[in-house]
Amino acid sequence: MSLVKILEIALKTGRVTRRYPAEEPLLTPEFRGSIEVDPAKCWGCGACVKVCPPNALTLTPSGKGLVLEYFVGRCVFCGMCAEVCPAKAITVTKKFELASTNLRDLRSRVVHEVLRCSVCGAPIAAEAEVRAVVKASPISEEYAILCPKCRKERFSRSVGLRMGAPGGGSS
Amino acid sequence: MLPVAGLAKALRAIRRSIWVYHLNSGSCNACDIEVLDALTPYFDVERFGVKLVGSPRHADVIIFTGPVTRESLPKVVRALKAMPRPRLLLVLGSCGVGGGIWWDTYATTGGFSKLEEILKEHGVEVDRVVYVPGCPVRPEAIIYGMLVLLGLAEQKVREVELPAPGG
Repeated sequence: MSLVKILEIALKTGRVTRRYPAEEPLLTPEFRGSIEVDPAKCWGCGACVKVCPPNALTLTPSGKGLVLEYFVGRCVFCGMCAEVCPAKAITVTKKFELASTNLRDLRSRVVHEVLRCSVCGAPIAAEAEVRAVVKASPISEEYAILCPKCRKERFSRSVGLRMGAPGGGSS
Repeated sequence: MLPVAGLAKALRAIRRSIWVYHLNSGSCNACDIEVLDALTPYFDVERFGVKLVGSPRHADVIIFTGPVTRESLPKVVRALKAMPRPRLLLVLGSCGVGGGIWWDTYATTGGFSKLEEILKEHGVEVDRVVYVPGCPVRPEAIIYGMLVLLGLAEQKVREVELPAPGG
């Protein structure tokens, strides 16, 4: 190709270079960036943790409570957590400028309070989850704040009493 | 580790002419394509003086991609050993930063934090690392990461810990 022809093409095309830091990035409407968890809406149920392919989301009990941790450094930005979230607490943002000089800054946490069984004191689930379940389904709160073992015990005892089993006390 | 003043001086010296070496430690090539994209006239990293070189011995910055497979581990250590001080690293992609979806398999080392321990055993010190998450990283994110590495842009992410409101 002759130089004249190259010049002609170059003049016709003009400047194509993006002035990125000074100019808006090229983001399409479909672009998925890092996710954001709304602590006011999140139940702490762990549906997002189960579905997350690289385990970027983890739900671990700690001294502070039930901690939902999001590690952007491992996230593959699939958006499945937002799809599966029953509380619609997770939103996929368009943030991509996530560069960081240390790994600590790539973590974000939501700390949930843990509800304990009213009889034996064993941890059951996040308080917000139990609240949401009581609201959504016809289960009495008396049963919802029991751990599975105590709930089973109480249920079988009440059924037994109805069938005419002796004893059982007041409860 | 170099003293902070020494590192700042070195960063000032290379600020307008950064020679990068692209080190692939077994990535899926998506991040590598994005590195290539950043070098094309469209995003044109060369605006900042970034130039790709063919050897780690010539490099100021190593662009690091991939989850460090077992097969590539000795080569990665050798390449980083060959790099002159200060060793500046731009770790790209969810594989490089946290191991990605391969973070706990037997075939990969699983992210840069674990590689760093292995490097320490081999006596290879890394002076400054910038982690750029993304799967794959956008060319803009690579440019932004490079600016953070050189101290030309502010880091935007911070560690967040929010309590869920009770009651």
